[in-house]
Amino acid sequence: MSVANAPAVTISRDVVARMSALVGAKNCISNPSDLRTYECDGLTSFRVMPGLVVLPASTAEVVAVVKLAWENGLALVARGAGTGLSGGALPVPGCVVVALTRMKRILEVDLENGFLRVQPGVANLDVSKHLGPAGTYYAPDPSSQSVCTIGGNVSENSGGAHCLKYGFTSNHVLGARVVLADGTVVDLGGPALDAPGYDLTGIFVGSEGMLGIVTEVVLRMLRKPQATRTFFATFPSTDEAGNAVSSIIASGVVPAAIEMMDGLAMRAAVAATGVDWPDVGASLLMDVDGPLAEVEHTSRHSVELAREAGALEIRIPKDENERALMWKGRKSAFAAVGRISPNYIVQDGVIPRSTIAEVLHEVTELSKKAGLRVANVFHAGDGNLHPLVLYDARVPGQEKAAEELGGAILRLCLRLGGSITGEHGVGAEKVAYMGEMFTEADLETMQRVRCAFDPERRLNPGKVFPTPRLCGDLPGPYVPHPSELSGEATRG
Amino acid sequence: MNATAPAAVRAGASADAILGVLPKEVFSPSTVEEAAAVLEEKARASASVGFVGGGTALGLGRPPRRLDAVLRTEHLTRIVEHAPSDQIIVVEAGITLADLQRAVGAHGQRLALDPPLPERRTIGGLLATNGFGPLRTRYGSLRDLIIGVSLVRADGVSAKGGGKVVKNVAGFDLPKMMVGSLGTLGLVATVTFRLHPLPESDVTLVARARTARGVRELASAMRGAQLEPAAVAALLQGRLFDVAIRFEGFPAGVAEQRDRLRQLVGQPPGSDCDVLSETEARAVWERHDALRTAGPLRAKLAFLPAALEALVEGPFAKLMGALGEASFVLYPTLGLGFVAGLPQGAVLVAQAVESVRGSLAGTGGSLVLEEAPDDVRAHADPWGPPPPSFALMRELKNRLDPEGRLNPGRFVGGI
Ligand SMILES: Cc1cc2nc3c(=O)[nH]c(=O)nc-3n(C[C@H](O)[C@H](O)[C@H](O)COP(=O)(O)OP(=O)(O)OC[C@H]3O[C@@H](n4cnc5c(N)ncnc54)[C@H](O)[C@@H]3O)c2cc1C
Ligand SMILES: Cc1cc2nc3c(=O)[nH]c(=O)nc-3n(C[C@H](O)[C@H](O)[C@H](O)COP(=O)(O)OP(=O)(O)OC[C@H]3O[C@@H](n4cnc5c(N)ncnc54)[C@H](O)[C@@H]3O)c2cc1C
Repeated sequence: MSVANAPAVTISRDVVARMSALVGAKNCISNPSDLRTYECDGLTSFRVMPGLVVLPASTAEVVAVVKLAWENGLALVARGAGTGLSGGALPVPGCVVVALTRMKRILEVDLENGFLRVQPGVANLDVSKHLGPAGTYYAPDPSSQSVCTIGGNVSENSGGAHCLKYGFTSNHVLGARVVLADGTVVDLGGPALDAPGYDLTGIFVGSEGMLGIVTEVVLRMLRKPQATRTFFATFPSTDEAGNAVSSIIASGVVPAAIEMMDGLAMRAAVAATGVDWPDVGASLLMDVDGPLAEVEHTSRHSVELAREAGALEIRIPKDENERALMWKGRKSAFAAVGRISPNYIVQDGVIPRSTIAEVLHEVTELSKKAGLRVANVFHAGDGNLHPLVLYDARVPGQEKAAEELGGAILRLCLRLGGSITGEHGVGAEKVAYMGEMFTEADLETMQRVRCAFDPERRLNPGKVFPTPRLCGDLPGPYVPHPSELSGEATRG
Repeated sequence: MNATAPAAVRAGASADAILGVLPKEVFSPSTVEEAAAVLEEKARASASVGFVGGGTALGLGRPPRRLDAVLRTEHLTRIVEHAPSDQIIVVEAGITLADLQRAVGAHGQRLALDPPLPERRTIGGLLATNGFGPLRTRYGSLRDLIIGVSLVRADGVSAKGGGKVVKNVAGFDLPKMMVGSLGTLGLVATVTFRLHPLPESDVTLVARARTARGVRELASAMRGAQLEPAAVAALLQGRLFDVAIRFEGFPAGVAEQRDRLRQLVGQPPGSDCDVLSETEARAVWERHDALRTAGPLRAKLAFLPAALEALVEGPFAKLMGALGEASFVLYPTLGLGFVAGLPQGAVLVAQAVESVRGSLAGTGGSLVLEEAPDDVRAHADPWGPPPPSFALMRELKNRLDPEGRLNPGRFVGGI
């Protein structure tokens, strides 16, 4: 489904001029050819022209922009690096896109108290690079980490390979400064734990740009583990690889990361990065980290379990360089698929870990039926599948068939008690599936939360929720009908 | 009892009072559906409702402004689903932590949460009060362990958020919303957690520190040495801190960390750091639990870890001085602590509470009274000043409970 040809809605010249005065002419984009850069995020099949793009440089500028938009009834869509894969930063017609990429300063590093304060436009990897010399790091590591922003990570509650042990963005955000839809600035949480009141930070993280625009984030830093041990294991098929994952986890080991690739994904990675991987049915890449004696034990034990499960070959990297290469092969897998297929869709479903083998068989069946290839790359430890559905957009009907196949895989995840998204978010892409995962009452409850933050629904409208809903229609205090008082009627 | 039988109901007795406020009726539904029916009925009657789990933390917060009914979760104790190979469990909110741990323990697993009184505290109550114990050092708090929730709203409508898989970003995070919300947003009906494997072995050591600075330096040294304790708690009764440190994991790793810690502490190495036997270890963690539940006044402190000395040498000393049999449980790596004792004068204590709050305010720290005698409550608000985001909290409450009928007045800022 593509909304490529949504009509361009224009913003009045007066508003454009005033926006331009707020952020500076070169940071206010209204020229249609320049606006094109912002018409989609990483989900390129969805495109909408924004009315205007502004790039503020401070919280004060964000406030001014938001207030002006508020007064003029304009919708706002926040944007980081635009690497999102669910259309979260997809504009709505005539909206103002607020791109936070100029706000990329690290404001404060407090090693003693274990936190740092950053602006939202800082790239994820730059945080850990900055902390490196102090022996600390920021744990969540999405594969896009060299470009994606902390603001985008906060909004999507992004994960990464090492989230199995250490948790997702939400477990590492202590607080945020947020500009609400009407321009009010609110500080949620902060470096000290357990501030009295509701966990608004917890509610905010993962809210997909619909509750406010983040202009500062307080992140938790972790001390680097003493040792890390990595191994790469190949298997005849995903069955043996899946069993290896299950038995490693059942043995009480908590891997820092355990990633699975099937043969097709491995061949793509070989083509793209030149890693020297054999042509086999599946592989696992696993890290354990922690105190030296502990990881020596857990890695040895895991290798044994992988062998027992039927591993063909186990490789242990000789040095940091070799280890980095193995990870590069894995992290490049999405992009690498571009080498073996003109087009592909990245899916992001979650299944209970114990069903991995079963699910991959079903995916194979579905892919045969659709006549399309599916490469599987995934975070096996937490059951987060990334099936890459390969197709050729030039062949009539293939794009649609690929989307249908992606949808069938998501429904399979739901049927097994899983989720339609483990880390990429609902955005514009998965709105239609929300009603299959949640009831009307679940969604209406979430909408109430949204209304508490943004009663006019100006922020990123149309995302996440299938049915638009007005905020004002809250039940007032209950007033009994006269017939009820007289006992003639009751409400059941 | 047939399927349509209403939840058991009786008149409120003095044992049902919440901070002196007696409910008119007490309901003990035996299913989540019955609980929803009670809430729906109370919505029709515009009645206020309070929730009671194990009844161990009812001292937290202010007395309710109104209390028409109490809903007890004592019969909502089922394990809805335990999937050992997926390391998740779904339970009803009235199950006690100890019952949950026994069930998953049989499969070599645990919920990595160890607050005091596990035999009495229910999962719903723990969630509502954000309860925790020493394991928070390594595993984080309830917000880091919960992956799904179902709740019953003030209007009797049931809704859920999150799911049954550890990784899931579909929809807003209702599970985290419920953590620490003190029954003001809805009844927690069922909760889904991620579980962890039970460690194969563990060891507890106790080091002694003369000052808060000493405790912090020890924490710092462990950090520098990349040790990964599962739990660190410093206990102060009298003049010395006993710093209890537990390592967990596979035997080789535990032994190596134990030895390295002893190398770090004392001169000669290990001289001021004892390795405890199993019995001694149990005793020290029991002592921790006893201090965490001591009274009649008990306050929870949150502060930036590096501000510990300034806190302890400043207004905090005044607070300790205003308490008889004062004790202090400190989690140095988290920046959290609990002070308890017998107030030596309500006004004195209330003043000390205010000055501690004053000294913490600049850094976002807080002091919350978990238990306090009435005369202290008369002079000090249990929550202290509401946070800067209070207007938004109020709005959230209004959206979910527009008539303000759930636990009215008990929470921060009178929510
Ligand atoms: C090759 C590749 C690999 C990827 N791998 C992973 C992975 O391993 N794990 C993972 O979780 N994701 C992954 N992603 C998805 C994506 O990188 C993440 O979702 C990322 O967090 C998006 O960050 P961004 O800065 O690009 O945000 P954008 O795409 O620009 O925006 C994402 C959402 O955040 C909102 N937003 C952005 N900034 C703000 C702000 N300051 N305030 C409020 N809302 C804001 C937007 O409105 C939008 O809804 C991958 C993407 C690619 C292309
Ligand atoms: C969901 C989740 C899962 C996790 N899983 C694991 C796990 O499996 N294993 C594991 O080991 N850890 C895990 N962690 C991290 C863990 O919770 C602790 O943060 C970590 O073990 C403590 O590391 P740290 O001492 O470096 O402190 P940090 O987490 O880096 O900081 C915590 C606190 O340490 C104190 N501190 C920092 N520097 C100093 C100093 N110089 N002197 C004195 N005190 C200082 C401060 O209080 C600081 O705020 C997890 C965290 C999360 C959120």
